[in-house]
Amino acid sequence: MKPPAKTAASILPYLWAAIFIVVVWQLVVVFTKAHVALLPPPLLAAETFAHLVATGELFVHVGASLGRVVSAWVLSALVAIPLGLAMGRWRRFEHLVDPVVELFRPISPLAWIPLAILWFGIGETGKIFIIFIATFFPILLNTVSGVKSVDPVLIRAGQVLGCETDQALFRKVILPAAMPTIVVGLRISFGTGWAAIIAAELVAAQVGLGYLIADGMEILRSDLVLVGMVAIGILGVAIDAVFRIVNDRYSWGG
Amino acid sequence: MTETTAPMNTKGISIHELGVTFTPEGSEPVEALRPTSMEIEPGEFIALVGPSGCGKSTLLNVLAGFIKPSVGRALVGGDPITKPNIDHGMVFQDYALFPWLNVIDNVAFGLERQGMALAERHDRAREYLEMVGLKDFADKRVNELSGGMKQRVAIARVFATDPSIILMDEPFGALDALTRRFLQHQLLDIWQKNRKTVVFVTHSVQEAIYLASRVIVMTARPGRVKLDQTVDLPHPRDFASAEFRDYEKIIYDQLDEELAKTFKLEGGQGMFHD
Repeated sequence: MKPPAKTAASILPYLWAAIFIVVVWQLVVVFTKAHVALLPPPLLAAETFAHLVATGELFVHVGASLGRVVSAWVLSALVAIPLGLAMGRWRRFEHLVDPVVELFRPISPLAWIPLAILWFGIGETGKIFIIFIATFFPILLNTVSGVKSVDPVLIRAGQVLGCETDQALFRKVILPAAMPTIVVGLRISFGTGWAAIIAAELVAAQVGLGYLIADGMEILRSDLVLVGMVAIGILGVAIDAVFRIVNDRYSWGG
Repeated sequence: MTETTAPMNTKGISIHELGVTFTPEGSEPVEALRPTSMEIEPGEFIALVGPSGCGKSTLLNVLAGFIKPSVGRALVGGDPITKPNIDHGMVFQDYALFPWLNVIDNVAFGLERQGMALAERHDRAREYLEMVGLKDFADKRVNELSGGMKQRVAIARVFATDPSIILMDEPFGALDALTRRFLQHQLLDIWQKNRKTVVFVTHSVQEAIYLASRVIVMTARPGRVKLDQTVDLPHPRDFASAEFRDYEKIIYDQLDEELAKTFKLEGGQGMFHD
Protein backbone atom coordinates (compact mmCIF):
# COMPACT_ATOMS: atom_id res chain seq x y z
CA MET A 1 0.00 0.00 0.00
CA LYS A 2 1.09 3.55 -0.70
CA PRO A 3 1.91 5.74 2.28
CA PRO A 4 -0.73 8.44 2.89
CA ALA A 5 1.67 11.27 1.99
CA LYS A 6 2.20 9.80 -1.47
CA THR A 7 -1.53 9.34 -2.00
CA ALA A 8 -2.09 12.98 -1.06
CA ALA A 9 0.62 14.02 -3.51
CA SER A 10 -1.09 12.15 -6.32
CA ILE A 11 -4.49 13.66 -5.55
CA LEU A 12 -3.21 17.24 -5.23
CA PRO A 13 -2.96 17.98 -8.99
CA TYR A 14 -6.58 16.91 -9.42
CA LEU A 15 -7.58 19.22 -6.59
CA TRP A 16 -5.86 22.16 -8.28
CA ALA A 17 -7.53 21.30 -11.56
CA ALA A 18 -10.94 21.18 -9.84
CA ILE A 19 -10.38 24.56 -8.20
CA PHE A 20 -9.31 26.03 -11.54
CA ILE A 21 -12.45 24.73 -13.25
CA VAL A 22 -14.74 26.07 -10.52
CA VAL A 23 -13.09 29.52 -10.66
CA VAL A 24 -13.44 29.73 -14.44
CA TRP A 25 -17.03 28.48 -14.21
CA GLN A 26 -17.89 31.16 -11.61
CA LEU A 27 -16.23 33.85 -13.73
CA VAL A 28 -18.25 32.83 -16.79
CA VAL A 29 -21.46 32.99 -14.73
CA VAL A 30 -20.56 36.44 -13.38
CA PHE A 31 -19.47 37.99 -16.67
CA THR A 32 -22.13 36.54 -18.99
CA LYS A 33 -24.91 36.91 -16.40
CA ALA A 34 -26.11 33.51 -17.59
CA HIS A 35 -29.66 32.48 -16.79
CA VAL A 36 -29.74 29.88 -14.02
CA ALA A 37 -31.53 27.40 -16.31
CA LEU A 38 -28.64 27.58 -18.78
CA LEU A 39 -25.64 27.75 -16.48
CA PRO A 40 -26.12 27.65 -12.73
CA PRO A 41 -23.34 28.99 -10.47
CA PRO A 42 -21.03 26.33 -9.00
CA LEU A 43 -22.57 26.77 -5.56
CA LEU A 44 -26.06 25.84 -6.78
CA ALA A 45 -24.65 22.82 -8.62
CA ALA A 46 -22.85 21.80 -5.44
CA GLU A 47 -26.07 22.10 -3.47
CA THR A 48 -27.91 19.96 -5.99
CA PHE A 49 -25.06 17.45 -5.86
CA ALA A 50 -25.26 17.31 -2.07
CA HIS A 51 -29.02 16.93 -2.25
CA LEU A 52 -28.82 14.05 -4.72
CA VAL A 53 -26.19 12.39 -2.53
CA ALA A 54 -28.29 12.88 0.60
CA THR A 55 -31.42 11.41 -0.97
CA GLY A 56 -29.35 8.60 -2.46
CA GLU A 57 -30.70 9.39 -5.91
CA LEU A 58 -27.24 9.93 -7.34
CA PHE A 59 -26.11 6.49 -6.23
CA VAL A 60 -29.06 4.90 -7.99
CA HIS A 61 -27.98 6.54 -11.25
CA VAL A 62 -24.32 5.76 -10.74
CA GLY A 63 -25.14 2.18 -9.80
CA ALA A 64 -27.31 1.71 -12.88
CA SER A 65 -24.66 3.09 -15.25
CA LEU A 66 -21.78 1.26 -13.61
CA GLY A 67 -23.72 -1.98 -13.50
CA ARG A 68 -24.41 -1.82 -17.22
CA VAL A 69 -20.82 -1.00 -18.11
CA VAL A 70 -19.32 -3.65 -15.84
CA SER A 71 -21.58 -6.44 -17.03
CA ALA A 72 -21.12 -5.60 -20.71
CA TRP A 73 -17.39 -5.15 -20.24
CA VAL A 74 -17.02 -8.53 -18.51
CA LEU A 75 -19.06 -10.17 -21.26
CA SER A 76 -16.93 -8.48 -23.87
CA ALA A 77 -13.70 -9.61 -22.19
CA LEU A 78 -14.97 -13.18 -22.02
CA VAL A 79 -15.37 -13.18 -25.81
CA ALA A 80 -12.56 -10.86 -26.90
CA ILE A 81 -9.70 -12.36 -24.86
CA PRO A 82 -10.05 -15.97 -26.08
CA LEU A 83 -10.66 -14.73 -29.63
CA GLY A 84 -7.62 -12.45 -29.41
CA LEU A 85 -5.45 -15.26 -28.05
CA ALA A 86 -6.44 -17.45 -30.97
CA MET A 87 -5.93 -14.68 -33.53
CA GLY A 88 -2.54 -13.79 -32.11
CA ARG A 89 -1.34 -17.39 -32.09
CA TRP A 90 -2.70 -18.77 -35.35
CA ARG A 91 -1.91 -16.71 -38.44
CA ARG A 92 -4.44 -18.45 -40.66
CA PHE A 93 -7.23 -17.83 -38.19
CA GLU A 94 -6.21 -14.19 -37.97
CA HIS A 95 -6.28 -13.81 -41.76
CA LEU A 96 -9.79 -15.19 -41.70
CA VAL A 97 -11.19 -13.07 -38.88
CA ASP A 98 -9.21 -9.85 -39.24
CA PRO A 99 -11.08 -8.44 -42.27
CA VAL A 100 -14.39 -8.85 -40.43
CA VAL A 101 -12.96 -7.06 -37.40
CA GLU A 102 -11.52 -4.26 -39.54
CA LEU A 103 -14.87 -3.68 -41.26
CA PHE A 104 -16.75 -3.39 -37.97
CA ARG A 105 -14.14 -1.47 -36.02
CA PRO A 106 -14.52 1.99 -37.64
CA ILE A 107 -18.26 1.99 -36.93
CA SER A 108 -18.75 4.03 -33.78
CA PRO A 109 -20.68 2.20 -31.07
CA LEU A 110 -23.02 5.20 -31.10
CA ALA A 111 -24.02 4.34 -34.66
CA TRP A 112 -25.40 1.08 -33.29
CA ILE A 113 -27.82 2.85 -30.94
CA PRO A 114 -30.73 3.05 -33.42
CA LEU A 115 -30.42 -0.63 -34.32
CA ALA A 116 -30.06 -1.55 -30.66
CA ILE A 117 -33.33 0.23 -29.89
CA LEU A 118 -35.09 -1.41 -32.85
CA TRP A 119 -33.82 -4.85 -31.94
CA PHE A 120 -33.91 -4.80 -28.17
CA GLY A 121 -36.16 -1.88 -27.28
CA ILE A 122 -35.14 0.54 -24.56
CA GLY A 123 -34.46 -2.12 -21.90
CA GLU A 124 -31.14 -3.25 -20.47
CA THR A 125 -30.24 -5.60 -23.33
CA GLY A 126 -29.87 -2.80 -25.84
CA LYS A 127 -27.49 -0.86 -23.59
CA ILE A 128 -25.43 -3.94 -22.80
CA PHE A 129 -25.24 -4.51 -26.55
CA ILE A 130 -23.92 -0.99 -27.19
CA ILE A 131 -21.31 -1.23 -24.43
CA PHE A 132 -20.31 -4.66 -25.62
CA ILE A 133 -19.49 -3.20 -29.02
CA ALA A 134 -17.73 -0.20 -27.49
CA THR A 135 -15.49 -2.34 -25.26
CA PHE A 136 -14.92 -5.27 -27.60
CA PHE A 137 -12.34 -3.91 -30.03
CA PRO A 138 -9.84 -2.37 -27.60
CA ILE A 139 -9.72 -5.66 -25.66
CA LEU A 140 -9.46 -7.74 -28.82
CA LEU A 141 -6.76 -5.67 -30.49
CA ASN A 142 -4.65 -5.45 -27.34
CA THR A 143 -4.91 -9.18 -26.77
CA VAL A 144 -3.82 -9.90 -30.34
CA SER A 145 -0.86 -7.56 -30.12
CA GLY A 146 0.01 -8.88 -26.65
CA VAL A 147 0.17 -12.44 -27.94
CA LYS A 148 2.11 -11.46 -31.04
CA SER A 149 4.71 -9.60 -29.05
CA VAL A 150 5.46 -12.54 -26.76
CA ASP A 151 9.18 -13.20 -27.16
CA PRO A 152 9.44 -16.42 -29.26
CA VAL A 153 12.32 -17.56 -27.07
CA LEU A 154 9.95 -17.65 -24.07
CA ILE A 155 7.67 -19.97 -26.03
CA ARG A 156 10.64 -22.20 -26.82
CA ALA A 157 11.71 -22.12 -23.19
CA GLY A 158 8.18 -23.16 -22.21
CA GLN A 159 8.31 -26.03 -24.68
CA VAL A 160 11.60 -27.43 -23.40
CA LEU A 161 10.34 -27.03 -19.83
CA GLY A 162 7.40 -29.32 -20.23
CA CYS A 163 4.60 -27.32 -21.92
CA GLU A 164 4.05 -29.91 -24.59
CA THR A 165 0.46 -29.11 -25.50
CA ASP A 166 -0.77 -25.82 -26.93
CA GLN A 167 -3.13 -25.55 -23.99
CA ALA A 168 -0.31 -25.75 -21.43
CA LEU A 169 1.71 -23.26 -23.43
CA PHE A 170 -1.20 -20.81 -23.46
CA ARG A 171 -1.85 -21.13 -19.76
CA LYS A 172 1.72 -21.10 -18.50
CA VAL A 173 3.53 -18.87 -21.00
CA ILE A 174 1.50 -16.99 -23.59
CA LEU A 175 -1.28 -15.68 -21.35
CA PRO A 176 0.98 -14.43 -18.53
CA ALA A 177 3.43 -12.94 -21.05
CA ALA A 178 0.61 -11.09 -22.83
CA MET A 179 -1.12 -10.08 -19.60
CA PRO A 180 0.26 -6.53 -19.25
CA THR A 181 -0.94 -5.66 -22.77
CA ILE A 182 -4.31 -7.29 -22.12
CA VAL A 183 -4.73 -5.27 -18.92
CA VAL A 184 -4.05 -2.09 -20.91
CA GLY A 185 -6.80 -3.15 -23.32
CA LEU A 186 -9.18 -3.75 -20.43
CA ARG A 187 -8.41 -0.32 -19.07
CA ILE A 188 -8.87 1.49 -22.37
CA SER A 189 -12.08 -0.39 -23.10
CA PHE A 190 -13.57 0.50 -19.74
CA GLY A 191 -13.01 4.14 -20.69
CA THR A 192 -14.68 3.75 -24.09
CA GLY A 193 -17.51 1.80 -22.47
CA TRP A 194 -17.98 4.50 -19.85
CA ALA A 195 -18.18 7.14 -22.56
CA ALA A 196 -20.65 5.11 -24.61
CA ILE A 197 -23.04 4.29 -21.76
CA ILE A 198 -23.81 7.96 -21.27
CA ALA A 199 -24.68 8.29 -24.95
CA ALA A 200 -26.83 5.17 -24.84
CA GLU A 201 -28.67 6.43 -21.75
CA LEU A 202 -29.16 9.89 -23.25
CA VAL A 203 -31.34 8.34 -25.91
CA ALA A 204 -33.31 5.78 -24.02
CA ALA A 205 -33.32 5.12 -20.29
CA GLN A 206 -35.28 5.62 -17.09
CA VAL A 207 -32.25 5.57 -14.82
CA GLY A 208 -28.52 6.16 -15.12
CA LEU A 209 -26.21 9.17 -15.32
CA GLY A 210 -27.03 9.69 -18.99
CA TYR A 211 -30.70 9.75 -18.09
CA LEU A 212 -30.03 12.27 -15.30
CA ILE A 213 -28.37 14.57 -17.84
CA ALA A 214 -31.05 14.15 -20.51
CA ASP A 215 -33.81 14.64 -17.97
CA GLY A 216 -32.10 17.78 -16.63
CA MET A 217 -32.08 19.20 -20.12
CA GLU A 218 -35.74 18.48 -20.74
CA ILE A 219 -36.96 20.09 -17.53
CA LEU A 220 -34.49 22.99 -17.90
CA ARG A 221 -32.49 22.02 -14.82
CA SER A 222 -28.94 22.56 -15.98
CA ASP A 223 -27.75 22.02 -12.41
CA LEU A 224 -28.82 18.38 -12.78
CA VAL A 225 -26.98 18.20 -16.10
CA LEU A 226 -23.82 19.50 -14.45
CA VAL A 227 -24.12 17.16 -11.47
CA GLY A 228 -24.33 14.26 -13.93
CA MET A 229 -21.27 15.52 -15.79
CA VAL A 230 -19.25 16.03 -12.63
CA ALA A 231 -20.15 12.54 -11.42
CA ILE A 232 -18.97 11.11 -14.75
CA GLY A 233 -15.66 12.93 -14.47
CA ILE A 234 -14.98 11.90 -10.88
CA LEU A 235 -15.89 8.27 -11.51
CA GLY A 236 -13.80 8.18 -14.66
CA VAL A 237 -10.71 9.32 -12.77
CA ALA A 238 -11.41 6.95 -9.85
CA ILE A 239 -11.88 3.92 -12.08
CA ASP A 240 -8.73 4.69 -14.00
CA ALA A 241 -6.82 4.93 -10.72
CA VAL A 242 -8.02 1.44 -9.78
CA PHE A 243 -6.86 0.16 -13.15
CA ARG A 244 -3.47 1.74 -12.69
CA ILE A 245 -3.03 -0.22 -9.45
CA VAL A 246 -4.00 -3.43 -11.24
CA ASN A 247 -1.67 -2.48 -14.06
CA ASP A 248 1.26 -2.09 -11.67
CA ARG A 249 0.57 -5.54 -10.32
CA TYR A 250 0.64 -7.13 -13.73
CA SER A 251 3.56 -5.32 -15.27
CA TRP A 252 6.97 -6.57 -14.37
CA GLY A 253 8.96 -3.52 -15.40
CA GLY A 254 11.02 -3.68 -18.56
CA MET B 1 23.96 -30.29 -3.33
CA THR B 2 24.89 -33.89 -2.92
CA GLU B 3 27.86 -34.95 -4.99
CA THR B 4 26.16 -37.80 -6.73
CA THR B 5 28.29 -40.46 -8.27
CA ALA B 6 25.27 -42.73 -8.67
CA PRO B 7 24.06 -43.17 -12.25
CA MET B 8 21.85 -40.23 -13.15
CA ASN B 9 19.71 -39.43 -16.08
CA THR B 10 22.09 -38.89 -18.97
CA LYS B 11 21.97 -40.17 -22.52
CA GLY B 12 24.11 -40.17 -25.62
CA ILE B 13 23.20 -38.55 -28.93
CA SER B 14 23.48 -40.20 -32.36
CA ILE B 15 23.31 -38.07 -35.45
CA HIS B 16 22.99 -39.95 -38.75
CA GLU B 17 23.46 -38.12 -42.05
CA LEU B 18 21.40 -35.27 -40.68
CA GLY B 19 20.89 -32.31 -42.99
CA VAL B 20 18.70 -29.21 -42.97
CA THR B 21 17.62 -27.21 -45.99
CA PHE B 22 15.42 -24.17 -45.53
CA THR B 23 13.13 -23.10 -48.34
CA PRO B 24 12.05 -19.53 -47.70
CA GLU B 25 8.79 -18.69 -49.47
CA GLY B 26 9.39 -17.60 -53.05
CA SER B 27 13.16 -18.03 -53.08
CA GLU B 28 15.84 -20.62 -53.61
CA PRO B 29 16.35 -23.31 -50.96
CA VAL B 30 19.28 -22.66 -48.62
CA GLU B 31 21.29 -25.59 -47.34
CA ALA B 32 22.04 -24.72 -43.72
CA LEU B 33 23.48 -28.05 -42.67
CA ARG B 34 25.03 -30.55 -45.04
CA PRO B 35 24.28 -34.17 -44.06
CA THR B 36 26.44 -34.80 -41.02
CA SER B 37 27.01 -37.72 -38.68
CA MET B 38 28.21 -37.61 -35.12
CA GLU B 39 28.25 -39.84 -32.06
CA ILE B 40 28.11 -38.25 -28.63
CA GLU B 41 28.65 -40.46 -25.60
CA PRO B 42 26.55 -40.10 -22.45
CA GLY B 43 28.11 -37.49 -20.14
CA GLU B 44 30.30 -35.89 -22.81
CA PHE B 45 30.71 -32.12 -23.01
CA ILE B 46 30.74 -31.15 -26.68
CA ALA B 47 31.59 -27.66 -27.92
CA LEU B 48 30.46 -26.67 -31.41
CA VAL B 49 32.45 -23.85 -32.97
CA GLY B 50 32.36 -22.39 -36.45
CA PRO B 51 31.87 -19.20 -38.43
CA SER B 52 28.53 -17.37 -38.22
CA GLY B 53 25.85 -19.05 -40.24
CA CYS B 54 27.63 -22.41 -40.28
CA GLY B 55 24.56 -24.20 -39.04
CA LYS B 56 25.68 -24.89 -35.47
CA SER B 57 22.61 -23.25 -34.03
CA THR B 58 20.50 -25.05 -36.63
CA LEU B 59 21.94 -28.35 -35.45
CA LEU B 60 21.19 -27.41 -31.86
CA ASN B 61 17.61 -26.48 -32.77
CA VAL B 62 17.17 -29.87 -34.42
CA LEU B 63 18.41 -31.58 -31.27
CA ALA B 64 15.98 -29.48 -29.21
CA GLY B 65 13.12 -30.51 -31.50
CA PHE B 66 12.37 -26.99 -32.74
CA ILE B 67 13.35 -27.76 -36.34
CA LYS B 68 12.65 -30.95 -38.29
CA PRO B 69 15.64 -32.23 -40.26
CA SER B 70 15.24 -32.38 -44.04
CA VAL B 71 17.22 -35.64 -44.25
CA GLY B 72 18.69 -38.09 -41.80
CA ARG B 73 17.84 -38.41 -38.14
CA ALA B 74 18.97 -37.65 -34.63
CA LEU B 75 18.49 -39.99 -31.70
CA VAL B 76 18.76 -39.34 -27.99
CA GLY B 77 19.43 -42.55 -26.10
CA GLY B 78 18.17 -44.47 -29.14
CA ASP B 79 14.86 -42.59 -29.44
CA PRO B 80 14.26 -40.24 -32.37
CA ILE B 81 13.76 -36.58 -31.54
CA THR B 82 10.28 -35.56 -32.61
CA LYS B 83 9.35 -32.45 -30.65
CA PRO B 84 10.57 -30.24 -27.80
CA ASN B 85 10.71 -32.24 -24.61
CA ILE B 86 11.52 -31.54 -21.00
CA ASP B 87 14.08 -34.33 -21.14
CA HIS B 88 16.12 -32.26 -23.61
CA GLY B 89 16.96 -29.13 -21.63
CA MET B 90 18.11 -25.90 -23.20
CA VAL B 91 19.90 -22.74 -22.12
CA PHE B 92 19.37 -19.76 -24.41
CA GLN B 93 21.70 -16.87 -25.16
CA ASP B 94 19.19 -14.28 -23.93
CA TYR B 95 18.32 -16.25 -20.78
CA ALA B 96 14.61 -16.74 -21.60
CA LEU B 97 13.52 -16.40 -17.99
CA PHE B 98 9.82 -15.77 -17.36
CA PRO B 99 9.62 -12.16 -16.15
CA TRP B 100 6.24 -12.60 -14.45
CA LEU B 101 7.68 -15.21 -12.09
CA ASN B 102 10.22 -14.61 -9.36
CA VAL B 103 13.56 -16.38 -9.36
CA ILE B 104 12.54 -19.50 -7.46
CA ASP B 105 9.40 -20.04 -9.52
CA ASN B 106 11.47 -19.77 -12.68
CA VAL B 107 13.69 -22.58 -11.44
CA ALA B 108 10.63 -24.56 -10.30
CA PHE B 109 8.72 -24.06 -13.59
CA GLY B 110 9.79 -27.35 -15.18
CA LEU B 111 9.37 -29.20 -11.88
CA GLU B 112 5.76 -28.08 -11.72
CA ARG B 113 5.22 -29.38 -15.24
CA GLN B 114 6.72 -32.68 -14.10
CA GLY B 115 3.96 -32.79 -11.47
CA MET B 116 6.02 -32.08 -8.38
CA ALA B 117 4.15 -30.63 -5.37
CA LEU B 118 4.79 -27.02 -4.36
CA ALA B 119 6.84 -27.61 -1.21
CA GLU B 120 8.96 -30.25 -2.84
CA ARG B 121 9.68 -28.25 -5.97
CA HIS B 122 10.60 -25.18 -3.96
CA ASP B 123 13.02 -27.29 -1.92
CA ARG B 124 14.55 -28.64 -5.10
CA ALA B 125 14.68 -25.20 -6.72
CA ARG B 126 16.39 -23.76 -3.64
CA GLU B 127 18.94 -26.55 -3.77
CA TYR B 128 19.83 -25.69 -7.38
CA LEU B 129 19.84 -21.96 -6.66
CA GLU B 130 22.36 -22.66 -3.95
CA MET B 131 24.42 -24.57 -6.50
CA VAL B 132 24.71 -21.43 -8.66
CA GLY B 133 25.22 -19.25 -5.58
CA LEU B 134 21.89 -17.42 -5.77
CA LYS B 135 20.05 -18.85 -2.79
CA ASP B 136 19.50 -15.40 -1.31
CA PHE B 137 17.87 -14.16 -4.51
CA ALA B 138 15.04 -16.73 -4.53
CA ASP B 139 12.28 -14.16 -4.00
CA LYS B 140 13.68 -11.47 -6.30
CA ARG B 141 12.03 -10.53 -9.52
CA VAL B 142 13.92 -11.58 -12.61
CA ASN B 143 14.40 -8.02 -13.83
CA GLU B 144 16.23 -7.09 -10.67
CA LEU B 145 19.10 -9.40 -11.68
CA SER B 146 22.18 -8.71 -13.82
CA GLY B 147 22.74 -10.63 -17.06
CA GLY B 148 25.19 -13.01 -15.45
CA MET B 149 22.80 -13.74 -12.59
CA LYS B 150 19.96 -14.35 -15.02
CA GLN B 151 22.01 -16.92 -16.87
CA ARG B 152 22.88 -18.64 -13.60
CA VAL B 153 19.16 -18.88 -12.84
CA ALA B 154 18.65 -20.38 -16.31
CA ILE B 155 21.40 -22.90 -15.62
CA ALA B 156 19.82 -23.83 -12.27
CA ARG B 157 16.47 -24.13 -14.05
CA VAL B 158 17.74 -26.58 -16.64
CA PHE B 159 19.74 -28.77 -14.24
CA ALA B 160 16.84 -28.88 -11.73
CA THR B 161 14.60 -30.83 -14.12
CA ASP B 162 17.32 -33.48 -14.54
CA PRO B 163 17.20 -33.76 -18.35
CA SER B 164 19.21 -36.45 -20.12
CA ILE B 165 20.88 -33.91 -22.42
CA ILE B 166 21.47 -30.16 -22.10
CA LEU B 167 21.78 -27.90 -25.12
CA MET B 168 23.41 -24.51 -24.70
CA ASP B 169 23.15 -21.91 -27.44
CA GLU B 170 25.96 -19.38 -26.88
CA PRO B 171 24.88 -19.06 -23.26
CA PHE B 172 27.65 -16.63 -22.31
CA GLY B 173 27.70 -14.71 -25.59
CA ALA B 174 25.95 -11.64 -24.19
CA LEU B 175 28.07 -11.35 -21.04
CA ASP B 176 31.17 -9.29 -20.33
CA ALA B 177 34.52 -11.07 -20.25
CA LEU B 178 34.89 -11.27 -16.46
CA THR B 179 31.36 -12.51 -15.82
CA ARG B 180 31.92 -14.96 -18.62
CA ARG B 181 35.03 -16.41 -16.99
CA PHE B 182 33.21 -16.79 -13.70
CA LEU B 183 30.26 -18.54 -15.31
CA GLN B 184 32.50 -20.88 -17.32
CA HIS B 185 34.13 -21.93 -14.09
CA GLN B 186 30.80 -22.38 -12.34
CA LEU B 187 29.26 -24.35 -15.22
CA LEU B 188 32.24 -26.66 -15.27
CA ASP B 189 31.91 -27.20 -11.55
CA ILE B 190 28.24 -28.10 -11.91
CA TRP B 191 28.89 -30.36 -14.87
CA GLN B 192 31.55 -32.24 -12.97
CA LYS B 193 28.99 -32.97 -10.26
CA ASN B 194 26.12 -33.67 -12.71
CA ARG B 195 27.69 -35.45 -15.66
CA LYS B 196 25.07 -34.55 -18.19
CA THR B 197 25.58 -34.77 -21.91
CA VAL B 198 26.10 -31.15 -22.91
CA VAL B 199 26.16 -29.68 -26.41
CA PHE B 200 27.51 -26.15 -26.16
CA VAL B 201 27.55 -23.74 -29.09
CA THR B 202 30.10 -20.94 -28.86
CA HIS B 203 32.07 -18.45 -30.93
CA SER B 204 34.98 -18.58 -28.52
CA VAL B 205 37.72 -21.14 -29.20
CA GLN B 206 39.16 -20.49 -25.76
CA GLU B 207 35.82 -21.15 -24.09
CA ALA B 208 35.41 -24.36 -26.11
CA ILE B 209 38.81 -25.73 -25.08
CA TYR B 210 38.36 -24.65 -21.46
CA LEU B 211 35.04 -26.46 -21.08
CA ALA B 212 34.66 -29.28 -23.53
CA SER B 213 35.82 -32.85 -23.68
CA ARG B 214 35.49 -32.64 -27.47
CA VAL B 215 35.54 -29.60 -29.73
CA ILE B 216 33.78 -29.91 -33.07
CA VAL B 217 34.69 -27.34 -35.72
CA MET B 218 32.08 -26.77 -38.41
CA THR B 219 32.72 -25.53 -41.94
CA ALA B 220 31.29 -22.35 -43.42
CA ARG B 221 27.77 -22.67 -44.83
CA PRO B 222 26.58 -25.22 -45.67
CA GLY B 223 27.91 -26.54 -42.38
CA ARG B 224 29.39 -29.95 -41.81
CA VAL B 225 31.99 -31.34 -39.42
CA LYS B 226 35.48 -30.13 -40.33
CA LEU B 227 37.37 -31.24 -37.24
CA ASP B 228 36.46 -33.40 -34.29
CA GLN B 229 39.11 -32.76 -31.63
CA THR B 230 39.21 -34.48 -28.26
CA VAL B 231 40.63 -32.22 -25.55
CA ASP B 232 42.72 -34.38 -23.32
CA LEU B 233 43.58 -32.03 -20.46
CA PRO B 234 42.63 -32.31 -16.79
CA HIS B 235 40.33 -29.70 -15.25
CA PRO B 236 40.80 -26.93 -14.25
CA ARG B 237 42.50 -26.04 -17.52
CA ASP B 238 45.05 -23.26 -17.67
CA PHE B 239 44.52 -20.79 -20.54
CA ALA B 240 48.23 -19.93 -20.49
CA SER B 241 49.65 -23.45 -20.56
CA ALA B 242 51.55 -24.71 -23.61
CA GLU B 243 49.12 -27.62 -24.08
CA PHE B 244 46.16 -25.25 -24.07
CA ARG B 245 47.93 -23.11 -26.69
CA ASP B 246 48.57 -26.18 -28.83
CA TYR B 247 44.87 -27.02 -28.91
CA GLU B 248 44.07 -23.41 -29.73
CA LYS B 249 46.49 -23.56 -32.67
CA ILE B 250 45.00 -26.80 -34.04
CA ILE B 251 41.49 -25.39 -33.88
CA TYR B 252 42.31 -21.91 -35.16
CA ASP B 253 44.16 -23.38 -38.15
CA GLN B 254 41.01 -25.19 -39.19
CA LEU B 255 38.72 -22.34 -38.30
CA ASP B 256 40.76 -19.73 -40.19
CA GLU B 257 40.29 -21.58 -43.47
CA GLU B 258 36.56 -21.46 -42.94
CA LEU B 259 36.60 -17.83 -41.83
CA ALA B 260 38.49 -16.93 -45.00
CA LYS B 261 35.75 -18.66 -47.04
CA THR B 262 33.08 -16.78 -45.13
CA PHE B 263 34.79 -13.44 -45.76
CA LYS B 264 35.07 -14.28 -49.45
CA LEU B 265 31.37 -15.10 -49.56
CA GLU B 266 30.65 -11.77 -47.92
CA GLY B 267 32.76 -9.92 -50.47
CA GLY B 268 36.02 -9.63 -48.53
CA GLN B 269 39.51 -10.22 -49.94
CA GLY B 270 39.81 -13.69 -48.49
CA MET B 271 42.96 -12.68 -46.61
CA PHE B 272 43.00 -13.66 -43.00
CA HIS B 273 45.91 -13.44 -40.59
CA ASP B 274 45.76 -14.44 -36.98
